[in-house]
Amino acid sequence: MKAAIWAEAAKLAGSTVGRVASAAIVIGISVISASMLLAAATTTDPQLLAKLGPVAAGDWRGFLLGAVQITGAGGLGGFAVVLAWMFGREFGDGTVAGLFALPVRRSTIALAKLVIYLVWAVAMSLLLAIVLALVGTVAGLGPIGSGTLEALARQAALGVMSVAITLPVAWAATLARSVLGGVSVAIALVVVAQVSVLAGLGGWMPLAAPALWAISLGITVSPPQLALLIPFAAIFVVLIAQSWRRMQLDR
Amino acid sequence: MTAALALDRASRTFSNGSGIFDIDLELEPGRIVALVGLNGAGKSTLMRVLLGMLRPQSGRALLNGDELDSAPLSEWARVGHLVEYPLAYGELTARRNLELSARLRGVADVPAAVDRAIAEFALEPYADRRVRTLSLGNRQRVGVAAALQHDPATIVLDEPTNALDPAGVIRLRESLLRRAADGAAVLVSSHHLDEVARIADRIVVMNAGRLIGELAPDISEIERAFFELVRADDEKAGR
Repeated sequence: MKAAIWAEAAKLAGSTVGRVASAAIVIGISVISASMLLAAATTTDPQLLAKLGPVAAGDWRGFLLGAVQITGAGGLGGFAVVLAWMFGREFGDGTVAGLFALPVRRSTIALAKLVIYLVWAVAMSLLLAIVLALVGTVAGLGPIGSGTLEALARQAALGVMSVAITLPVAWAATLARSVLGGVSVAIALVVVAQVSVLAGLGGWMPLAAPALWAISLGITVSPPQLALLIPFAAIFVVLIAQSWRRMQLDR
Repeated sequence: MTAALALDRASRTFSNGSGIFDIDLELEPGRIVALVGLNGAGKSTLMRVLLGMLRPQSGRALLNGDELDSAPLSEWARVGHLVEYPLAYGELTARRNLELSARLRGVADVPAAVDRAIAEFALEPYADRRVRTLSLGNRQRVGVAAALQHDPATIVLDEPTNALDPAGVIRLRESLLRRAADGAAVLVSSHHLDEVARIADRIVVMNAGRLIGELAPDISEIERAFFELVRADDEKAGR
């Protein structure tokens, strides 16, 4: 496992995809959130203020609510692209043949990919929360009180929970044997999450639960609903490991 | 003596009817086997079955006498292979790629193995360049070095001379001869009777998914003998 984890870390650290996605998630979401704050502070246009929603209040609460809304869709997309690349690229680059006939099981290699993905996603989520705290402070939103700290913790937790709901992307990239197959499923995940909210499934839909939880300040989604993420993630981890263990290069 | 890797009446077919049929092949320590056949003869499929990338539908693939699925995982540390694409990631340097392969194969002294491989395949000028920026031939050198650097007891290389320049071919030939002399079992495939095929102890001819005969490595008109064998097989099968 140690060798596989080292290999996956080296690949992600050396990749353009990893660097671009890291920047897009941390800097991109911070810049968009800051822009919304700036727009709210400098406009008197009631239509624009209405569009900015909670951010229009110009306080920590509104600023961080805006950030979780962006993270719920944009952050999820960024995570999913990296995950699709980690799995799909082995097929696109033909390197998967080199992952056979080794003293490391292919299922171990797949699990090592997931471990590195988790570590990277947690690091990005924490970093984003820290950068958002800095941006809010520089923007003059005032001292960080306990309510703000809670909101920052929810922001970071949303990122970490996004790891669980993106796991189908890794399975799809494996089955489709392409990065694009994984990315297609990432788009489908966002659509299904939106439709399920409209259909009234709410917190019982694991794909939508983290974002709903963060946006509602942790009120509308109950702990049992959030806990559904655990079996959801476990099922996909098993499916991914099995697909890699049974894999044949027959296409 | 148990063959390092072997196929025992192994067949594997695809939906279009192609594949390999009823293959018996043993790789023995200290001997180089060259697998020659025209494009599409089934050489890569045979190697994939031999290395567990494809499961045979009938017959068996064996590693040191055990079926591949039940062979001890540690036994694979003594196998080196390159089938179709080198295990070389474009975003990593040649050195980092060699390090990655060595670690995955459980090499004890990784830096020493990597340094030896870089010297053996004259990769010094490219060692710290990203593989993405290397020529196809140098990428292939990295792949060959990655397959051999852990001094495997069993070596399986699919058309390893592809894209290699003459100097690279000579280095590969010398490396395989030395490793076989040290006891390694070697299988190399080629679609032509190149420099590497000519160093083999056995030249096995493949056509339309079957092993159809052998050529003596030391005969003078070896190409002619190869085409004669293939033509006779095609005529017999009415192709």
